[in-house]
Amino acid sequence: MQTLQKALRSGNQMVAEGAIKAGCKFFAGYPITPASGVYKGMIDLLPQNAGIAISSPDEISALAYCVGASMRGYKSMTATSGPGWALMIETVQYALITETPVVICVVQRLGPCTGGATQGGQGDILITEFATSGGYTIPVLYPSTAKECFRLTAEAFNWAEKYRTPVVLLSDKEIGMTTESLDYSGLGDLKTFDRKTISKTDPDFKNWKMYGFDSPDMIAKFAPVGGDIKVTATGSAHNALGYLKKNDTETISTLLHLEEKITSHKNEMVLVNEDLQDNANTLIISFGITARTMKDAVKTARKNRINVSALTIYSMFPVPEEKIINAASDCKRVVIPEENINGQYRKIIKPLLKDKEVIGINKAGSMITPEEILERII
Amino acid sequence: MEAQETCSYMTHGAVMPFCKGCGHSNILKKLNDAMASLKLDPEDVCLVTDIGCIGLADALFDKVHTVHTTHGRSTGFATGLAVADKVLASRKMKVVVLIGDGGSMIGLLHIVNAALMNVDVTVIIANNFLFGMTGGQQSSLTPEHFVTLTTPFGSMNPSLDICRIADASKGGFIARKIATDKDLTDVMAKAISFDGFSLVEVLELCTEHGTKRNDLKGGMLAQMAEHEGHELGIIKENSLRKEFSRKYESDVQSHTGEIKQPAFIEQESLHNLTKAAGIIISGSAGERVQSSAAMLCEAAVRCGLNTTQKNDNPVTQGSGFSLSEVILSPDEINYTGVSRASYVIISSEAGLKELKAQNIFKRIDNDTVIITDESIELSNNGYNVISLPLRKACGADKATLGAVDYAIRMYGLFPHEVFKKVIEKKFGQYETIFKKEFLTFWF
Ligand code: SF4
Ligand SMILES: [Mg+2]
Repeated sequence: MQTLQKALRSGNQMVAEGAIKAGCKFFAGYPITPASGVYKGMIDLLPQNAGIAISSPDEISALAYCVGASMRGYKSMTATSGPGWALMIETVQYALITETPVVICVVQRLGPCTGGATQGGQGDILITEFATSGGYTIPVLYPSTAKECFRLTAEAFNWAEKYRTPVVLLSDKEIGMTTESLDYSGLGDLKTFDRKTISKTDPDFKNWKMYGFDSPDMIAKFAPVGGDIKVTATGSAHNALGYLKKNDTETISTLLHLEEKITSHKNEMVLVNEDLQDNANTLIISFGITARTMKDAVKTARKNRINVSALTIYSMFPVPEEKIINAASDCKRVVIPEENINGQYRKIIKPLLKDKEVIGINKAGSMITPEEILERII
Repeated sequence: MEAQETCSYMTHGAVMPFCKGCGHSNILKKLNDAMASLKLDPEDVCLVTDIGCIGLADALFDKVHTVHTTHGRSTGFATGLAVADKVLASRKMKVVVLIGDGGSMIGLLHIVNAALMNVDVTVIIANNFLFGMTGGQQSSLTPEHFVTLTTPFGSMNPSLDICRIADASKGGFIARKIATDKDLTDVMAKAISFDGFSLVEVLELCTEHGTKRNDLKGGMLAQMAEHEGHELGIIKENSLRKEFSRKYESDVQSHTGEIKQPAFIEQESLHNLTKAAGIIISGSAGERVQSSAAMLCEAAVRCGLNTTQKNDNPVTQGSGFSLSEVILSPDEINYTGVSRASYVIISSEAGLKELKAQNIFKRIDNDTVIITDESIELSNNGYNVISLPLRKACGADKATLGAVDYAIRMYGLFPHEVFKKVIEKKFGQYETIFKKEFLTFWF
């Protein structure tokens, strides 16, 4: 028998373990189904891993605590679901404008509003991506298995640290709360990245500014609150030094740089799984729990000698445009199954799929089944 | 950096951006003096400012770390900063929040929780009884009859006694002062040096909106407070509670709880499946439906199978139905729902009701083996039903477990020996798990 490292884990548990692996040292949580498993995981794991997890009195506090801890220099995370995420929208923008790394795990459930706490959903894609006034990109990763929860949580931290930005790890009830067998081999080798910091003794210090940049892709080194360099942070529009300013060119370019620094790195932020077949009429694009369903539908179709291509998206935002265009290039139709009523990701990527027949499979309240996808494969 | 006695935390010669006579200028100068009197190393000070006129203070303090936040949330960010500093960095950062009366209400929760946690944060509330920056609207700290832009006939509500809220939140240092008090510097210094949560509410005038609409002079603030029943001076000063990080350290050290890393599962045997088997287990909450399914999965993994277990229950976890959809497969499992059930276990009436509610009978056909408690009546649609005295033989709490045990024995998904070992780990010797005579019920 091979030496596998098998275990039974839920996606939520693997998010917690992935965060620990990534070097997360601070977690603040507020209970919400279906995300509470991440909270409990961090409460158990962090004290044994030189970190601290605390309870917060609401979701606004949870994220504010995390942003504060990150400003002090520590990798931080919180976890919530739709209703809590709605409350965090202002605070996540604060993290974005102050260029503070932080990871928010959003385990989606049935909406709108309180919706269904114990029912799944994939309806928080647009609210996540369009959470900012002004249209700035919040990078979003979306795993589809418990094992991927581990890898992509670690990646979410890497992105947050590298690009000094909030990153959302999207999940859903079915991934978060379903327990599955998985093999740990290989998970230990993940690379982790720590933010580049600065102190007065750094040779770069002379030319350094809190939010300074010489080129669009440049990300200023991070000065922690409590370090030897004075930190000036504000949620208001500010100049490169961090001081509130109104309408001058430097302030506007500092604002625009928040987006440029992400778009200029977007080619490094592409994570997809391509399962493309020659002579396929149909390409299916999916993510999260529905990507798994897609795999079963594809298997059956191919067994029935129908060629079909499939693309699983892990890096939802920035949108992996080239991968999508390339995957669709030889197909006539693109099918996008997602568990929401308006085809949220379909709306985003449709402009990339010119001359294609774009078909949505949408559903609320229960998982899309392999049969429902299979019907659309011709 | 060495702190020097003359150290000023404010920009030298800073011009106050406030209206003439505004109390904010006084408060900030005294805050600067208070920090100077404590000889704080500027690197160890973080000023967290809220939204509103008082929030403009961050630009005036160019020697210390400044974090200007979203409205009302300053104490929340400050809490994260203080916890991380004290617990993770083991340093001595002093975190001071500057917030107005408006912000203190929208962010009340953060103040309450910071006090409950007893984090080393000082909250200074500049209370001029209204929202100044936005034009003088009523706040929750506006006294009764006080005229504001939005209370032209005078405020109908009395004002909130936020010091009492801080007291009820078990904060250790609480004071209410007037901006012109001679000892304001000392009181602020005491608050900042207090090892734990402290709050100083400072009463002051908004000369732009407050004094223009009300017959009000600085000298009348004490009287106003009295009229509202609000105590002045240092209201509370006791260090009975340990500061958060100290308490955390001792609590974590003395923790002897159950937290352990779940171990890997060794494969010890081989299974007999050639394709995936979907098993739906439905019963009542509190009768080990989901934990029986988990033990089934563990045993299956011990025999080299892949598993998924998708649970469902009402939002109140301890009542109503409990349902697990389990897939055991020699191959990778993608879709986690059971499209066609190979086995269905129904251990209670609540379980049956839920199967019907979720339309699960659509996923059951004549090849499906349905194992039910004898009390359950299924309409005979040609189903392959095995009715057993599960509840009688195993007890209500182990009826589901008994049914799983039966299914593994009867249908040989994998060696029963492995399942037996898994449940023995939890319940002790196999022979004692179910009722003594249970085997005789079905064999
Ligand atoms: S509006 Fe009122 S609070 Fe604001 S600066 Fe002027 S006097 Fe002070
Ligand atoms: Mg005010």
